[in-house]
Amino acid sequence: MHNSGLACTLNASYDEFTLNAEFAIEEGELACIIGPSGCGKSTTLQLIAGLLPLTEGSITLHGNDLTSVPVHHRQIAMVFQEYALFPHMSVAENIAYPLKLRHVKKSERTKRVAQLLSLVSLEGYEKRKSDELSGGEKQRVALARALSSDPQLLLLDEPLSALDAKLRKHLREEIRRIHDETGITTLYVTHDQEEALSIADRIIVMRDGTVMQSGKAEEVYHAPNSLFVATFIGDGNTLPAHLFADGEEERSGVVFFRPEEATVQITVPGEHLPHLAFNEATVESCEFQGGRYRLHTRWQGYPIICYSERRPKGKSINLTVRKKDLLYFEDGNV
Amino acid sequence: MRSRAEMERSGFYQRLALPALVVITLFFLVPLLITLSSAFIDEGGSLSLAPIISVFSNPYIHRIMRFTLIQAAISTLASLVVALAGAYLLSTYSFRFKRLILALSAVPFVIPSILVVLGFVIFFGNNGFLNTALMNIFSLSEPPIRILYSYKAIILAHTFYNFPIIMNLVATYAMHLDRRLEAVSYTLGASKAKTFFSVTLPRLLPAIISASSLVFLFCFSSFAIILVLGGGPRYTTMEVEIYRQARMMGNTGAAAALSLFSIAVTSLLLVAYNRSQRRLSKSEAYREPLSLEKRPAGLVGRVLAVLYTIITLLFVLAPIISVIVRSVYSSSTGFTLKWYRQLLNLERATSHMGSALTALTNSLLIALAVSLLAVILGTGLAASIERRKRSRGALELLGMLSMTVSSVIIGLGYFLISSRLRGNASLSYTLVVLAHLVIALPFVLRVMLPEYRKIPLSYAHSAWTLGSTPGHAFFSVELPLLKSAMVSAAIFAFAISMGEFNATLTLSSSTIITLPIVMYRLIGSYNYQGACALGTILIAVSAVVFIATGTAKGTHHA
Repeated sequence: MHNSGLACTLNASYDEFTLNAEFAIEEGELACIIGPSGCGKSTTLQLIAGLLPLTEGSITLHGNDLTSVPVHHRQIAMVFQEYALFPHMSVAENIAYPLKLRHVKKSERTKRVAQLLSLVSLEGYEKRKSDELSGGEKQRVALARALSSDPQLLLLDEPLSALDAKLRKHLREEIRRIHDETGITTLYVTHDQEEALSIADRIIVMRDGTVMQSGKAEEVYHAPNSLFVATFIGDGNTLPAHLFADGEEERSGVVFFRPEEATVQITVPGEHLPHLAFNEATVESCEFQGGRYRLHTRWQGYPIICYSERRPKGKSINLTVRKKDLLYFEDGNV
Repeated sequence: MRSRAEMERSGFYQRLALPALVVITLFFLVPLLITLSSAFIDEGGSLSLAPIISVFSNPYIHRIMRFTLIQAAISTLASLVVALAGAYLLSTYSFRFKRLILALSAVPFVIPSILVVLGFVIFFGNNGFLNTALMNIFSLSEPPIRILYSYKAIILAHTFYNFPIIMNLVATYAMHLDRRLEAVSYTLGASKAKTFFSVTLPRLLPAIISASSLVFLFCFSSFAIILVLGGGPRYTTMEVEIYRQARMMGNTGAAAALSLFSIAVTSLLLVAYNRSQRRLSKSEAYREPLSLEKRPAGLVGRVLAVLYTIITLLFVLAPIISVIVRSVYSSSTGFTLKWYRQLLNLERATSHMGSALTALTNSLLIALAVSLLAVILGTGLAASIERRKRSRGALELLGMLSMTVSSVIIGLGYFLISSRLRGNASLSYTLVVLAHLVIALPFVLRVMLPEYRKIPLSYAHSAWTLGSTPGHAFFSVELPLLKSAMVSAAIFAFAISMGEFNATLTLSSSTIITLPIVMYRLIGSYNYQGACALGTILIAVSAVVFIATGTAKGTHHA
């Protein structure tokens, strides 16, 4: 890990849970914290911003220890879930707020506001008031305002959760583009793992106040370190391991594989590499997804999700999964 | 919420409460303690319970206590009857005058008690408009209605002043009730009246109890009405006796002892009222109900509606309009503006009218000072309360504390202080400003607290992360959002100060001249027209408050 970037050890206790999170992200990275509701994601952001007090621990940003620095000196900007645009100010005044604080001259301010509005694709919106904006527009103004404070770290607290699906997709790409253009270290909280997978350089999975795994998106997807992370990110199939004890040893725990790792034996010739076979799996439902079919099947009572290029003709199919694609988790339950 | 912990660490929000706390401690608690301590010091100057014992073993005092409680009870009952009739009409029928009645019912909330007194005398007096009209219509030689300066007058005035409170609170509550229960009752064959008494009334009980406890409190601490309309030792209440003992008999020990009793009762009533309000907000009326179309009134209904509208108009508007009319017209002089000319010193004025202009100017200046100070202190206190985790309740209680003490007792404290200090005019007026400030502060707090609550924490948080100090964030982001609430609160405080009579009279020496005081003196010297001229100005101020704020929760107090 480089010395620059964000490194934190956060210990704080509350009525609902105790937070014991430790992670680091590199300078310029776009990192996503994901996890189920109540796992402490937003609390983590608020601790890093300084809005909540730390019981114990430290926060280091770009080599500076921020642990006892007050909020307004940390140079950490935050975009809140409800955007928190100041209602009595216009868009331009909102974005100019941090510039005014830093005594930037009026002409400079106007230029910078126009620059930022163009960055977030909202040219010409200077005079509008926040109640004239749509959700997506408010979010972009909030982002522009955060950027205008020239932060060392940008925190985004579920910025897209209040928007509809199509807008979410579009805006997350915008966020990624803006991040790439500005190069600011960004920490992004979401409960939508698809969102995280699509734009994050690094994914941090949290549960009950602890960091379960932190790594590149591909890492977390293909090499989850626990059943929780495996099932939280993407789809997967979980079956008890003892079903596949092939004389080697008694296996406890579960076996896990991704749907795309299961091959449907319709047109593909039999599998040669070491594999598990699921014969006579009953097809319960079949969804057409445009480029492929997503099948919900049941094998010996266990549900298995897989993909197929063709619609299966009969009610039952045969599946194989290569052994090298399997993950074993000792402590999981089906 | 967890983030309050961080905000509490920010000293800024804690410091915001300081000015208000200083004012409340120095200018409310200290005078109060000085007052109450006189109850424990006997003639010789040593600590004893003698003053208390001698006061409360006096049968004269017993009579006064009985009278105070009984007149309050009867007034509350009378107000209840009149109000419930209105609440029945409003909640059962829809008719044309509904809006009018509801609007009128908010008027007494903004009228100072001295104006009520004046209006009553002008309208219901022996030579008043009502008697004159009745004598003309029925060709009588004697005024048929002689009620002034009697028990009846007190009850009537209290009813006028207070029934709208009950009606307003109960009708508003009733309008949010789910009407399906009444509909079911009708379909089961019950008449409208039977439904009202067996279905609606029980459900309205919490609101009725709450409003009644408030009205009982007002009637118990009533001062100006008793002082003028009661007319004598037979009809004296606790507050009037406190004033009498302190100012006329020089017996501060007795006044202090009586104050203990008064404070005990008013505190109990306020606690009861607060509890009932809390229960109300949890009850059914505040969930989203299905309200049905109201039945249009049949003949009986229409007659009742018209009757009730007339009664409301009579009670509420007639006295006010009489004051305005009397200020420019009387049967002996015809239409004349002479009283206004005297008021504005445009012509030479007799006796008290000569000080009218000074009184007006003083009242305006005092009210201005009070409203500015009250809003500044009150807003700071409200913000500090809302952004705390610990000690919110204690701070809010402290802010509201002066409501538990009647204005007469507050005035008494200032009187005791001023009589020990070598006073000059500016000291006296400073004391008046402080007394009004202490009285107005809870009302400002009551307006600002819910308004401040509406501001999301994330605004301040945003501003902090963007680099603003907590203080700068408060002034640049939160305060601008409170602008209209602050104006409302300032108008309230202004009106409270303009109409304040009880405390001002109790603490005043002959040098203090304010509008209500001069009105009182004019009434006392039978210069009713002059008093009406001044009264009309007060009505104008009240009208501004009424229009600007538009609802209940006004400046209403004894």
